[in-house]
Amino acid sequence: MRTKRFLGVWTFILLARLSSSSAPGQEANFPFPLTQYQLRNGLKVILSEDYSLPLVSVVLAYRVGSVQDPPGKTGLAYFLENMMFMGSLNIGPMQHISYVNRTGGQPNASTTEDITYLYETVPSNQLALVLWLESDRMKTLEINAAKTERIKQALLDEIGQRKAGEPYFESSLAFDRLLYPDSAYSHPVLGSEEDIRNLTAEDAKNFYAVYYVPNNAVLSIVGDINLAKTKELVEKYFETIPQGKDSRVLSPPKPPEKKQLVQVFQEPLAPRPAFHLGYRLAPSYSPDYYTLVILDYILLKGNSSRLYRRLVKKEALAFYLNGGIEKRGDAAAFKMFAMNNNDAMVDICQKAIFSEINKLRTNYVSPEELEKAKNMFKKDYVSRFSSSIEKAMFLAEIFFSPVGLENGPEELGKYLKVTPFAIIGTVNRYFTPENSILLNVKIR
Amino acid sequence: MKKVILLCGLISFCALASFSQERFRKSPPFPDPLQPWQLPVIESVRLSNGLTVAVCNQKNLPFISLELVILAGESSSPESLPGLATFTAEMLSRGTPLISASEMEDRIESIGGSFSATTSFDYSRFSFLFLDENLDRALELLSLMLLQPAFSEKEVVSLRRTLFYDIRQKARDPEFVGRRQLLRILFKNHPYQKSLYNEDVIMNIGRDDILAFFQKYYRPNNAVLVLAGNLNVNTASRKVSHYINTWRKTELERPLPPFPEPNNSEKVCYVELPQAKDATLLIGNVIFPAGDPDFFPFSVLNQVLGGTPNSRLFMNLRESREYAYYAFSEIEPYRGCGVYFVRAKVVPSACYASVQEILKELGRAAKEKIPTFEIEQAKSYLIGNFPLQIDKLDSLARRISEIVAFSLGDSYWNKLYENIILVDAGRVFEVAEKYLLPKPVVIIVGDKNTLFDHLRDFEKLEFYDAKGIYHYTLTKGVEE
Repeated sequence: MRTKRFLGVWTFILLARLSSSSAPGQEANFPFPLTQYQLRNGLKVILSEDYSLPLVSVVLAYRVGSVQDPPGKTGLAYFLENMMFMGSLNIGPMQHISYVNRTGGQPNASTTEDITYLYETVPSNQLALVLWLESDRMKTLEINAAKTERIKQALLDEIGQRKAGEPYFESSLAFDRLLYPDSAYSHPVLGSEEDIRNLTAEDAKNFYAVYYVPNNAVLSIVGDINLAKTKELVEKYFETIPQGKDSRVLSPPKPPEKKQLVQVFQEPLAPRPAFHLGYRLAPSYSPDYYTLVILDYILLKGNSSRLYRRLVKKEALAFYLNGGIEKRGDAAAFKMFAMNNNDAMVDICQKAIFSEINKLRTNYVSPEELEKAKNMFKKDYVSRFSSSIEKAMFLAEIFFSPVGLENGPEELGKYLKVTPFAIIGTVNRYFTPENSILLNVKIR
Repeated sequence: MKKVILLCGLISFCALASFSQERFRKSPPFPDPLQPWQLPVIESVRLSNGLTVAVCNQKNLPFISLELVILAGESSSPESLPGLATFTAEMLSRGTPLISASEMEDRIESIGGSFSATTSFDYSRFSFLFLDENLDRALELLSLMLLQPAFSEKEVVSLRRTLFYDIRQKARDPEFVGRRQLLRILFKNHPYQKSLYNEDVIMNIGRDDILAFFQKYYRPNNAVLVLAGNLNVNTASRKVSHYINTWRKTELERPLPPFPEPNNSEKVCYVELPQAKDATLLIGNVIFPAGDPDFFPFSVLNQVLGGTPNSRLFMNLRESREYAYYAFSEIEPYRGCGVYFVRAKVVPSACYASVQEILKELGRAAKEKIPTFEIEQAKSYLIGNFPLQIDKLDSLARRISEIVAFSLGDSYWNKLYENIILVDAGRVFEVAEKYLLPKPVVIIVGDKNTLFDHLRDFEKLEFYDAKGIYHYTLTKGVEE
């Protein structure tokens, strides 16, 4: 008799169209079918069929990012992402890429503050190849001193290039240190040069053993797949990979001090004066977070947003402006960066920003402006279902988020329910002087 | 003793269990057979005003991707006003007499939309992506742009500034400068030359020029509208007619740009780009126009040469000789002709050797038949990769608009796979001989402070500045 292989199997096929909000008692659904289950070794698996093209996207996401970098070893998660392409027991260095490329497919990887994504899109008849490749590096990644040195050099080169090519790179790092007082959250994914120089193969092996294990990962497969066959393949390649120890639980970020900070940073390569402005926000996915995201669209997203229109187009106070809400694990912040012609413009530009924020403290946003912000947000949100790879990444991300896959379909509705009243309250709670950090960048 | 044997056996079993692995992990699995697959269906109609509307029904997403192609690009700009086609296209969304440019931006973003314009040699394309519940509002906006554009003096002044700085910014990119210089040489005295302008020409363009270009070329019988999303051709044509039925057609000639003579003499040009760290190489020549039957065998050839990091150029220049950061090859088909080019970024000291290796690889492909296994690998890549190129709604709509704009016909789309499968080593050899034997133009972009010493090995080198102005020729490192 065939042993039941899957533990905690719960499959739900959801085909209804994504609705902006659901009627009472009626569940909102993703606009695509979804099946999820867990292997005995703890690997979570999400499958979604999409037969529109003969493609399949595979995302193997590990719950590890720069937030998990141990003290004094910043950049380790990003280092491991690079090591993932340097070969495992049955696959030589860089062969992963050539195997995928030969099929016409595209391999890639990315590391954020809290998740490492390894992913590929290939013709659907090559699904087994990708599972073979991913399982091999999950099970038997080969880490040695020579590879470690090669990657360290590549990472140091990358930092060197960023420093040389991005004139405000150093000030952005200094700004993050002010905005996120907890060092686990404040350092860049790239790590610091000093820490990278000191990394050893042993550090990488220990980190790999803790975090790159089935029970710390989710495998998300989207595309032209046969469910039964895909389950068989997943089982074949992944189920015999031993479970790892439970990874370390990260303590939540230290609550920031309620104190306004204004500092100056000398940027040696900066061609013009500039400034970074930030506000510490409510944790990601907390009730206020949804309002803050819509507020971000009103203030800064798109050519018709309040700040872009006033500062860049109408009054030409800044010739470059960008920013928005940033999530780093459980911490979230609103960040803005503006480049100006001279110091006087910096001052006027900051005053204009504060005056725009002040308007939002007392005046309701008009229904038309709110609808515009929500439609822009909705477009960006549903864009994440626009290709198999984006859908697979979205599913992995929401799986790891505090929302969870089961509550995922309700998410869009929460953003679209934001009211003008909630915006006033949120601005008054978070966009306060004592919550703000200002870093003025001076040129030498 | 028995105990010891048992213990040894147990230890070796445990060791075996931990070090041995399942047999299937040792080598890659065989792929499943490729299932037959039908490309998305394109339906099209011609409206009474001459506008072609093509629709690709895609049910999966709450978006509609709209591509409007005006069949006039930079080659239609007057000789005295290069850049006019680009300028006109960029002005289209900048307001009507009653609606300001900002209000227009508001209206586009209110429907969850994004709008952009791009101009190439042969056409101007407008890409409009929006939430599908807003189809009517999107078509209304499009009708405002096409039927009542203001081309206000204020917006002309503002766009002049924007375009001027955009081009100046792009001209810091060695690849942009190299490609522009390559095309300038290949398209000398050709209508396509007008696309290859410097930022200064933008300042010569005025409102009257824009209006004249618009009135001449922005006509329904000179346009194609592609819609991809959850709609059918009947709904689409009815709605499009409703909003833009007063768009009037006019008699219009659309001459085919002539086929330029490919380069066939040794021509090495150096373009000075101060502060460029490495040497950027662009090496290419003129090939067939879009829709030519040579396209499929040449695509396979291009794949073998430089389509991916597994191709010959990358493997040679980067992996084997460690000269290059990258080395790829590309094809760009236009209406009157096309070009192929190799692009590579190499370390300055390997500049001469890299050029020789690239020329050697091009020559090898033209003189020795490519082995069948390489051909089959390239074909399998092209077949496997094509769905990735259309896996987003806007990229699908863009691809369809190119097919319609170049009049490639239904069979191009419907027989795409068949045409690739039919390519064999003989056909690839034929096109390699035909297009790779004529000597290509070599462009080197870099900073003379780091590159100059490495340029002396070239027999003859024409020296240009980043704006494409010829300065002098070096013969064996000596100025003529």
